[in-house]
Amino acid sequence: MGNSIKWETELNAALARAKSEQKPVLMDFFNPG
Amino acid sequence: MSSFISESVVPLRLPYDHKPLSEQFQVKWTPTLITLDADGKEHHRTVGFLPPEELIPSLLLGRAKLDFDLDNFESSIKILEKIVSDHSKSDSAPEAIYLLGVSRYKSTHEAKPLKDAYEKLQAEYPDSEWTKRAYPYRLL
Repeated sequence: MGNSIKWETELNAALARAKSEQKPVLMDFFNPG
Repeated sequence: MSSFISESVVPLRLPYDHKPLSEQFQVKWTPTLITLDADGKEHHRTVGFLPPEELIPSLLLGRAKLDFDLDNFESSIKILEKIVSDHSKSDSAPEAIYLLGVSRYKSTHEAKPLKDAYEKLQAEYPDSEWTKRAYPYRLL
């Protein structure tokens, strides 16, 4: 997916944002190669 | 695509061998995309590459399933209607029709939406697994 996306890298930070922004978390497990 | 993701979800990217989350979520292959609610509960998962025309409806389906699981049927219905109308050729569309029928049934307690879902699936996606799952509803 595009590099312009601002990815979170910690689950707790993503969940806190999800609560405040009322959005789901999209968790992407990837292979960095 | 990037703006859709940034506006509709909180994106979290983790390496496939992340400890402890890879094991906790039983990730076996990449890419694995999982939709979580704000409490960290899983509602939708895809494994393998999805092109943009499949990824967007899949992400919408994840949001709809989250709302459905939390009994927010008004919201799930709106999102599922969008998948059916705007992404009818996507692989997510048949599941969206099925879940739309169930969501409408849950919100109205009337059986007609279930039969409507079967008839639409049979007419437009006769080979879909979701048409098979809706098969009993033809009798309602």
